[in-house]
Amino acid sequence: MTGFRLRSFDSKAFTIFLAIMIFFTIFLFYPIAYVFESAFVIEGKITPAFFLLLFSDQFLTQSLTNSILIGVMVTVFTAVFSLPLAFLCVRYNFPWKTILQGLLLVPLVMPPFVGAIGLKQIFARYGSLNLLLIDLGLMNPRNPVDWFGGGFWGIILIEVLNLFPIMYLSIAAALANIDPCLEEAAESLGAKGFALFRKVTFPLTFPGFFAGAIIVFIWAFTDLGTPLIFDFSKTIPAQIFSMTQDIATNPMGYVLTIVALLVSVVALLAVKRYVGLRSYEMLGRGHVSRREKTLTGWRARAAMGILIMVVGVAMIPQISVILMSLAGKWFQTVLPTQYTTRYFSILLTHPVAGPSIFNSLFYSVLSTAIDITLGFVIAYMLTRRRFPGRDLLDSVAMMPLAIPGVVIAFGYLAAFSRTPLNAFVNPVPLLIVSYAIRRLPYTVRAAYAGFQQTSVYLEEAAMNLGASPLRTMRAITFPLILANVVAGGILSFSAAMMEVSDSLILAPQDQYYPMTKAIYEVNNRLSDGPFVASALGVVGIIVVAICFLVANKLLGRSLGELFRAG
Amino acid sequence: MVKVSLDHVTKAFGSVKAVQDVSVGIGEGELFLMVGPSGCGKTTALRIIAGFYKPDTGSVRFDDKEVNDLPPYKRNTGMVFQNYALWPHMNIYDNVAFGLKIRKVPSSERVDRIKRVLDIVRMREYAERFPNQLSGGQQQRIALARALVIEPSVLLLDEPLSNLDAKLRVEMRSEIRRIQKELGITTIYVTHDQSEALAIADRIAVMNVGCISQVGTPREIYQYPQNPFVASFMGEPNIIDGRIDTINKETGLVRVRIDEKLVLEGRLPRDLSSYTNGDKVSCFIRPETILGNEQSPQRFQVKVLETSYQGQTEHYSFELPDGRVLRAIGFNPSGHLVQVGETMTIELPAEKVMVLKQ
Repeated sequence: MTGFRLRSFDSKAFTIFLAIMIFFTIFLFYPIAYVFESAFVIEGKITPAFFLLLFSDQFLTQSLTNSILIGVMVTVFTAVFSLPLAFLCVRYNFPWKTILQGLLLVPLVMPPFVGAIGLKQIFARYGSLNLLLIDLGLMNPRNPVDWFGGGFWGIILIEVLNLFPIMYLSIAAALANIDPCLEEAAESLGAKGFALFRKVTFPLTFPGFFAGAIIVFIWAFTDLGTPLIFDFSKTIPAQIFSMTQDIATNPMGYVLTIVALLVSVVALLAVKRYVGLRSYEMLGRGHVSRREKTLTGWRARAAMGILIMVVGVAMIPQISVILMSLAGKWFQTVLPTQYTTRYFSILLTHPVAGPSIFNSLFYSVLSTAIDITLGFVIAYMLTRRRFPGRDLLDSVAMMPLAIPGVVIAFGYLAAFSRTPLNAFVNPVPLLIVSYAIRRLPYTVRAAYAGFQQTSVYLEEAAMNLGASPLRTMRAITFPLILANVVAGGILSFSAAMMEVSDSLILAPQDQYYPMTKAIYEVNNRLSDGPFVASALGVVGIIVVAICFLVANKLLGRSLGELFRAG
Repeated sequence: MVKVSLDHVTKAFGSVKAVQDVSVGIGEGELFLMVGPSGCGKTTALRIIAGFYKPDTGSVRFDDKEVNDLPPYKRNTGMVFQNYALWPHMNIYDNVAFGLKIRKVPSSERVDRIKRVLDIVRMREYAERFPNQLSGGQQQRIALARALVIEPSVLLLDEPLSNLDAKLRVEMRSEIRRIQKELGITTIYVTHDQSEALAIADRIAVMNVGCISQVGTPREIYQYPQNPFVASFMGEPNIIDGRIDTINKETGLVRVRIDEKLVLEGRLPRDLSSYTNGDKVSCFIRPETILGNEQSPQRFQVKVLETSYQGQTEHYSFELPDGRVLRAIGFNPSGHLVQVGETMTIELPAEKVMVLKQ
């Protein structure tokens, strides 16, 4: 008894389905297929020759190892931090919890590589931390510690700090969704304390845990900006980036792109297979009442202390970026010795930085419009129509979650080079589409949840009273799911504003730079480069933070669940 | 006001035939109840009339016009959904006004009609509230008002009372009948509750596995069921199986051999042409007919196994001499009529024993 349908074969729905599939074919399958072809076909024959070349090149195999190691370590560290934190926040009440929990999400408002700029100022060989230790006589000024371990550990550090909120949100959502009966049943059978946690609670969080883990892994594994800031080029994304220079002649860029895609997809499939993730389950289900204990006395203070500490550490990159944007003079001292708003006024007249703000806003608004439209239509099709290919549409719409930005960006650059969409001529259309397609799952999910929560009977009641399907959509369905659609759109928008790999790879000319690319380029300039870049970063932080606040208001607790994979 | 007729209507979902070859006519201004267990196809039939499903075969007519291809929004039916389906983002006034706005009713007339319909359902003072601020019964009235205000040619009610508590259900069903008779709208009402159907219907259609088992007035349905399904769905009769011994074609009375010792006298349905000696039949005895005082020659000595006092009624289990158990109901018992363990005589007038072919 689902929905209104007069014909047994819904030809209208099928037509829309075909149109959407054509869009995906052009902008998702074709570029990837193009990369595959370039990597595997030499003079019309399929051969693994280039692929084997990869494994004979020590530099590239080292890059692959590094990238996988970075992905795995970041995932493990974020998990180790997030699990106790999520358990503490979901199961216990203590003073200031709401505010502190909100602050835990602050790292999400900035892409890791921007934080890396600030972090360098703090943790570099002659950065704030070492200078402070030298001042205190705890470190030899001749031989300060290299906290970044040549860049490798710096990358891991910044990514852990930046990505742990995603892991935290996933685990917290999973914990909050555990039906209390399941634990009570175990307790009634005698399980308690750590045994209860290990045998019942922890396994029940696996779906959420792995959903967060896979996003963190793919993100860290394919993060392009951070290695570039640390001048650590021995990673797959950095190599892909440098190979865009000779994209027409060097097949290795294609091979590396395929490797990045394969590792991500295999990781995702493995996780899916292991926990049997179901895509929409979490958003659709009503939340159960939780078992929250209120902490008092020293326990409450300890809980607050832990959270304040985590928030403090997690915000070091943000704070240092903000400090840098305001630092009139900050050289060989722990903190800036002078403060200024000069860098912000520079932004207004800067030939690259200023326009990049408008470029980013322009691209993001358009990509969000695409996401909202497509997200609404796809969610409508999935929830309200029956047509052949429904399951296919479902999985295709979620596919971009598993496809790293570098893969899409490299694919676009290569596949459309001989078409009117050539990014070397004008990258705007491809930038907008790449932003849109990567964040489409957010709006599809948000709208899907809205449709699911809105009973079909509400629509039927309108039609029964004489409203045409279009009028029903306008008067009933759309107003009812508006909050979801807007929230999903805002997330897409902020993600587009922060997008790194597409931006770095797809925009070669400076008049088209989006903000992230401008930050990267400006940072490379000598003298005040990093400071102007930080100021630009702060502008981005403010825009994205506002977006998050609004989305959070609209979506409430389901915000965290939008970050899940699957 | 229109007549509604279904003519050999069939509707399948995949391999499941939800409605099979249903033909029925509903008269102008009639309150027509469709009743049956869940999954019997009654809601599907209603949704076919509303236009939400198109029948695979057969035709649906409003008066003499076939409406098979008419989409729901052009049928001018007013439907009340089981969960009311009030739009949560509109207040009561806007919910009720929706259908009138669609019909471009001028605003002054609109205001009058909304006031009038809210008076009819006795909800005038709630116009500014939102659905979530109303109780279930109030929401139900608003759903009814929203359907009535457009002056539909047919009013369709899909289990309108199933979400209400027992007391409110009884109150609302007579309320619905009052309003229906006041406005004289042809009404089709779906329910699984047989007492609801008996209480308010002009006519009832009893449905089973996609087919209509019997159509008739409440009295006909209850007292003269045509088949075992209708007999056992309406009420909770005692059922005793046997074979026809002899038939009296004049009176319609029949003797049924239950076993070696026991022979029951009962009556056949009005159309007894298909019954012959030796047919396997079931005897249906309604529990409330057992404790009558009608000087019937058919009497049995029984032992009282159990009694259960329920206020208005008292329920008993009796053991027949051959060990069978009969359930009986006594009305408004002022004192203990019988005691557990004692033996007593009960009467089973042949008129009250309905004999139907298995």
